[in-house]
Amino acid sequence: MTIQIESIIPTYFTPASSEVWSKVFSLESGSRYLVKAASGSGKSSFFNFLYGLNNKFTGTIQFDAKDIASLTEPEWTQLRREKISIVFQGLRLFPELTALENIQLKNQLTQHKTEAEILAYMKRLDVDQLAHKKADTLSYGQQQRVAIVRALCQPFELLLLDEPFSHIDDVQIDNATSLILEEVAQRNATLVIASLGNSYNIDYTKTLLL
Amino acid sequence: MIGNLLHKQIHFSQLLFFALTSSLGLGILLVVFQLFIDTQSLFNSSSDLLSNQTVIISKEIGRDNAFTKEEIEILKQQEFVKKVGGFTNGTYRVKGSVALMGMGGISTDMFLESVSDRFIDVQNENWKWTPSSRKVPIIIPKNYIDLYNYGFAPGAGLPQIDTNIIREIPIELNLIGTSERRIYNAYILATSEKINTILVPKSFLDYTNNLLSPDKEVNISRVIMEVTNPSDPKLLDFLEKNKYQYFQSELLSSRISYFLQLVLSIVLGIGILITILSITLVITNINLLILKNKQTICQLYFLGFSRKQIAAVYHKISYKILAVSISFAFILVVICKFSFAPFFDNLGVKTNAYSLIYVFIAAIVLFVVLAWYYTKHTNKKIAQMTAVNTSLLTTEI
Repeated sequence: MTIQIESIIPTYFTPASSEVWSKVFSLESGSRYLVKAASGSGKSSFFNFLYGLNNKFTGTIQFDAKDIASLTEPEWTQLRREKISIVFQGLRLFPELTALENIQLKNQLTQHKTEAEILAYMKRLDVDQLAHKKADTLSYGQQQRVAIVRALCQPFELLLLDEPFSHIDDVQIDNATSLILEEVAQRNATLVIASLGNSYNIDYTKTLLL
Repeated sequence: MIGNLLHKQIHFSQLLFFALTSSLGLGILLVVFQLFIDTQSLFNSSSDLLSNQTVIISKEIGRDNAFTKEEIEILKQQEFVKKVGGFTNGTYRVKGSVALMGMGGISTDMFLESVSDRFIDVQNENWKWTPSSRKVPIIIPKNYIDLYNYGFAPGAGLPQIDTNIIREIPIELNLIGTSERRIYNAYILATSEKINTILVPKSFLDYTNNLLSPDKEVNISRVIMEVTNPSDPKLLDFLEKNKYQYFQSELLSSRISYFLQLVLSIVLGIGILITILSITLVITNINLLILKNKQTICQLYFLGFSRKQIAAVYHKISYKILAVSISFAFILVVICKFSFAPFFDNLGVKTNAYSLIYVFIAAIVLFVVLAWYYTKHTNKKIAQMTAVNTSLLTTEI
């Protein structure tokens, strides 16, 4: 999926000059982008625009030449199931469900992975032993890893990761990035990671300063 | 799993409250509806005592007690009077004879009267007469049959008769007027509980009066009035002032009827009010259930669950509760129906099981209408909650 972005500016705050706001650029399939910025400069807003949670901006965003402003509610639902996956900065796990249930909830929408595959992913990120623990009993770093596995359990052409490794140690970051890169490469998807500064040893197509 | 997740926030006590409010409203509505159907016969059939919102008045006995046209006009103009009709009588002598099988004949002097059809409590297609008719239909007071059956027949060793047999009795009317004399065959078409006289169709009386005694004037001896409220003091004052006579008991039953209608209307009004309140409560309950899960609903929506999928969980809850409430309300109706039955028997109202079928149909209609309304409301609420820009998630910058 090619994402064409033309001169977008949030209408509810005035952003500083950057390589994203008011610029014309595109995000290509198979490419990896790092959106680097200090806290509060609008990374999550940019992700929310792309994910359709927020449309308070001027300018246009097009998915494969289709303006997202024209997308209907069922079309957005379809996109979130099959084309765009996200790890929210706030993770948005359901605290009353176990780690595995949280992942299964997403997976059941498309039956993309088997339980064995999910557990194998969890093992790679060293959270398999927490599969049956309630999400709110996990540390934030563990929750982040569960959220990453959840994001991979659906078909996608665009993967948005909003500060996904902020509470994870370097060893687990390496595990996570290798898993993510494998998945992205397999699907020829676009990867966009938002980060405060760290580039997590990923070879980016482009770094966008926000 | 989505169902389980959303159910986690919902407590049993809340659903119980939901079901109770819903049952209460629907129960009252259906019971009142059933009551209404069962008591319809009381008001619709004009033969029943309770539908008798009519008063028959006459003047004091004297030489000239006929009502003049002006007096009738004045009666018509009174605000408490809905309809006015006059009794006219035959201006000739009547000899009626009956040939009973194997008993010889009975002959008696009698009289004939007529009144406008709209005051007659007998609906029968044979209640008509034209000069070419073979027989004249007659309506007699039910009292006459009762007198015969319980008074005369046992003593005279005669068989008792019912309203079906009575039709078969051939009657010969010998009418002797001032200028002519005629014989007509007649039969008793029906009996009346409301009108205490021997009635023939108005067309027959007009025709024979004209034919047999053309020189005599036709008088209105008594007046029948349909009134809006038999307890209206204005009505009683009016009757007193004009020295019109009426049957106290007749007026009393009219008052009972009026009172009963009033009570039923009040009960229906309160029933509808409580139902509306309970529907409002149920809607508030649905809102509460949805609001409690606001965060979960938003998160599910943004994970890729459709509004339809999320709303379906709430639809299922409300359908289930609605079904339980409607069943409960229907059971309440059945219980009430059998509890009220003795009271209706006392009033002489025949209730039948058919009213339950109507209530059942009403219950199904109510289920469909309310389910549709709750569904629409739930969809609207969830759409509002998950609308773009209103989400909890957009708070992240």
